Amino acid sequence: MDSGQGNPIRDIKYLRPQKVWGWQIAVYLYLAGMGAGSFAIGVVWDWLGYSAYPSNAVLLFGPLLAAVGAPFLILDLGIKRRFLNAGLNPKTSWLSRGFFILLIFIVFGVAALAMSILPLWGINIGLMLFRIVEVIGLIFAFATAIYTGILLKALKYIPLWNTPLLPVLFLVSALSTGSMLIILSMLGSSLLLPNGEYSSQLTNILMRTEQILVFIEAFVLGMYLFSRYRTKEQGKTSVNLLISGKLKFVFWGGIVVSGFFFPIVLEAIYSKLPEHTFLLFLTGFFLLVGGFFLRFGIISAGIKEQLPLHKLIELQYNSMNLRKKRL
Amino acid sequence: MDDKMLIIDPEKCTACRKCEMVCSVLHTNASNPSRSRIVVMKWDNIGMYLPMVCQNCEKPFCTEVCPAKACQRDLKTYKVQIDKDKCIGCKTCVIACPFGHPSFDSVERVTVKCDFCNGDPQCVACCETKAIDYVDTDKAGINRRTEFALQYNLLRGYVKRK
Repeated sequence: MDSGQGNPIRDIKYLRPQKVWGWQIAVYLYLAGMGAGSFAIGVVWDWLGYSAYPSNAVLLFGPLLAAVGAPFLILDLGIKRRFLNAGLNPKTSWLSRGFFILLIFIVFGVAALAMSILPLWGINIGLMLFRIVEVIGLIFAFATAIYTGILLKALKYIPLWNTPLLPVLFLVSALSTGSMLIILSMLGSSLLLPNGEYSSQLTNILMRTEQILVFIEAFVLGMYLFSRYRTKEQGKTSVNLLISGKLKFVFWGGIVVSGFFFPIVLEAIYSKLPEHTFLLFLTGFFLLVGGFFLRFGIISAGIKEQLPLHKLIELQYNSMNLRKKRL
Repeated sequence: MDDKMLIIDPEKCTACRKCEMVCSVLHTNASNPSRSRIVVMKWDNIGMYLPMVCQNCEKPFCTEVCPAKACQRDLKTYKVQIDKDKCIGCKTCVIACPFGHPSFDSVERVTVKCDFCNGDPQCVACCETKAIDYVDTDKAGINRRTEFALQYNLLRGYVKRK
């Protein structure tokens, strides 16, 4: 009964995985989540006092990635010039709430970035104002990361998506990919301008955070798939589709091996051989690819619930088969 | 409030797909069933057909998720409608509707749905087997109920089969 193929009743347009939303939405969710995650991690570690160095890089990444991701959503629209209409209905629609959340996040992210650059030119602004902007940015960074899950959760008729675990999963994934992005950016910048002495301590801390986050993410993903497998029949079909059906290469190759297995193994090797920095680059690459495939897999495995009308047809078919067997 | 709704009887449908043709010609001036607002789901191997139309839900999912306020209930006629001039084509309603009803028109690049032909549905007018009917809401289930009552009484022997 995996994915319903071969069954003459199940193999119809409406019980196949949805094809309405494709890779564009996955890219959008991925970039927005990753930007928000890197902003949140960077700001929090900056507050904890691990050097002001990363926050500048991170402040750049957060709003920038979100701003790069948003056009992918517009790319998916039918009439692209009407994209401003998307903010008209924040009362009930999560898509337009997300529009505002993303807008505020980008605005405050850019403001925080501008404020952190200003002292370089000798203009001093109060630390208080900077902190306020950072706090608002942080709140909306978390909101953005959670919103990417809620956007899918709000579509209630797809059992694979309709769970509070999905926002949690996307939040954890956003934080882990975000922290990996910070590590990568720090490594990249230390290759260009060699000032490794005060970023090595931070790299270690960030790597520890990132390892813990990957383990939490794996746990949440397991819980998520397990709970989806047990809710409704179409949830079960979706999970089967991911694990053993058409999307098994995306799931096992993209999500499990690239998102969890390689990062954990490569980081274990890196902790033994800290002089090989390329291992960390490889880890980062695999983790970021895994983050994308997590979104892509979940989006392309969504199957709508079966209607009572479909069930009626299926019952009739089954009783017809029984009659045939008796004859 | 116009209390009428489209009801479907899958057992009467013969999948001639005339309704799709008429609907697409009426709404798009093109005889293209893939752009029609009514979709006949087919199980050819067992001979079962199911015409799917807008069910005009009490709490529609499509109006809840529409970000552009294009898909809304018309308070005068109490029907859910999509405003073509506001729709941005985000296809969220297509995913949200359990009946798979609003469909994405690839020519106009917006989502379209059944507008009940302003109170005179042409799919009903053209359907020869009356598989789809436009009736008052309070009489929607009456055929099924009479059928059930008849079967039940036959089963219990209250009435004799003629």
